[in-house]
Amino acid sequence: MKTVLARRHVLGLVAGAIALPAARPARAADAAAARSFVTDFGRQLVAIVNSDRTLTDKKAAILPLLQAHVDMDAIGRYCLGRYWRVATPEQQAHYLTLFHQVLVNSITDKIGDYRGVTFTVSGTSPAGDDQAVETIINRPEQPSANTQWIVSTTSGQPKVVDVVGEGTSLRLTQRNDYASFVARHNGSIDALLHALDHQVAAHGAN
Amino acid sequence: MRAVTGSNLPPSPPSAFVARLRRIALVSAGLGITALGGCAAPPPKDPEALAEYREANDPYESLNRKMYDISMTLDKYSLRPVAKAYVWAVPYRVRQSLGSMVQTMNEPVVFFNDVGAGKSRRAGDAFVRWCVNMVAGVGGLIDVAKYAGYPHHDNDAGLTLATWGVPSGPYLFLPMMGPSSFRDGAGYGIDVGLSPWNYVPSGYGLLTFNWAYNIMGMINGRADHLDALDQLQKDALDPYATIRSAYQQQRKAQAEAIDNDHRATVPDWYN
Repeated sequence: MKTVLARRHVLGLVAGAIALPAARPARAADAAAARSFVTDFGRQLVAIVNSDRTLTDKKAAILPLLQAHVDMDAIGRYCLGRYWRVATPEQQAHYLTLFHQVLVNSITDKIGDYRGVTFTVSGTSPAGDDQAVETIINRPEQPSANTQWIVSTTSGQPKVVDVVGEGTSLRLTQRNDYASFVARHNGSIDALLHALDHQVAAHGAN
Repeated sequence: MRAVTGSNLPPSPPSAFVARLRRIALVSAGLGITALGGCAAPPPKDPEALAEYREANDPYESLNRKMYDISMTLDKYSLRPVAKAYVWAVPYRVRQSLGSMVQTMNEPVVFFNDVGAGKSRRAGDAFVRWCVNMVAGVGGLIDVAKYAGYPHHDNDAGLTLATWGVPSGPYLFLPMMGPSSFRDGAGYGIDVGLSPWNYVPSGYGLLTFNWAYNIMGMINGRADHLDALDQLQKDALDPYATIRSAYQQQRKAQAEAIDNDHRATVPDWYN
């Protein structure tokens, strides 16, 4: 028994030793890929924001861009947390549709009205299995914002799965918001859907 | 009020006046909690709900929510309109300068806390910022140090205690002061003691300046978070829980940033 265990350890070590040098260049390649992905995404986003279009037009142009670069379904599932598992497939589908709209509204609210937005990519660091790309976003007459974009490649291609500003993760904050709301409504997912429905409708009316 | 959203706004530097108010609030909140301590809701039984409850670290939630509601109502009719008028009347560059001044005046507190946290390089940065901005930056109105390679960094006694391994303790929402915790609340009190402005002898013109500076700092700090807080209250389904989560994450990140600063005491050019 002892020998088997020892052999297993040795084999594990050998496997690790082989994998380690291979993993390092992969990490570097991941970092470079994540960096160019965020640079490209940011450039397109800023081009839309800085254009002379109306806010509605901007929003229409931003939506497909987000769908291509942001893993909105993954973020949506994360934000619903433990309630995702207890939701019916209909509730899940309804929730994701609403969540897409909420996400787009929230992004356009933050940057839509500005002209002259610039951004620079300042560095990349590993964040768990993902890559964190540091950017500095400059908006006119606003303090510059240090923002981290968490890029994941688990879906096969790079996608943004979180945005972290001043140490605050957008998806974690959102998850706690939803969790607290649902908990205070006796665990009712329909109450959450109703509230999101209301929020999206109210936003459209503004 | 501190930055409470993920909108990347730096937390407003706690001015002495605000800090003094915070101290009073903390004492009253402390008394309230002692009285209502027995009223804390029992933890939930469901394991997942219990994990959530522990993560939120908010056993006094019902009291905190009351404080939150009172604060937001008061803010709506007092500080928020004043801050809105201030933004309307005062050009951005001037507001930015005043913000720099408030930040520079708070630099001694940052310095003492950097020393307390045992981070000599950070303390050096704060010291240089203070000297450069007070002289070349005309009393802090221009953040010259930032352009000289000494950007502002946060520190306060709550964070210093965190680097010493003091746990945050339960979450607190202090009336008109915003999100806090037992540790950070105690930190406010320590920061008041660390601020040299509270030792200006009375009868001096400086004292008048102190009051003007504190009130202006409070309005300026609130103005910095106008859009972020408005948006949060519009977008969040449970703004109270959102603020709690954002605050706890931000404080954790700030403490980690201090812990992870392993730069040598002397600058690179010295070696």
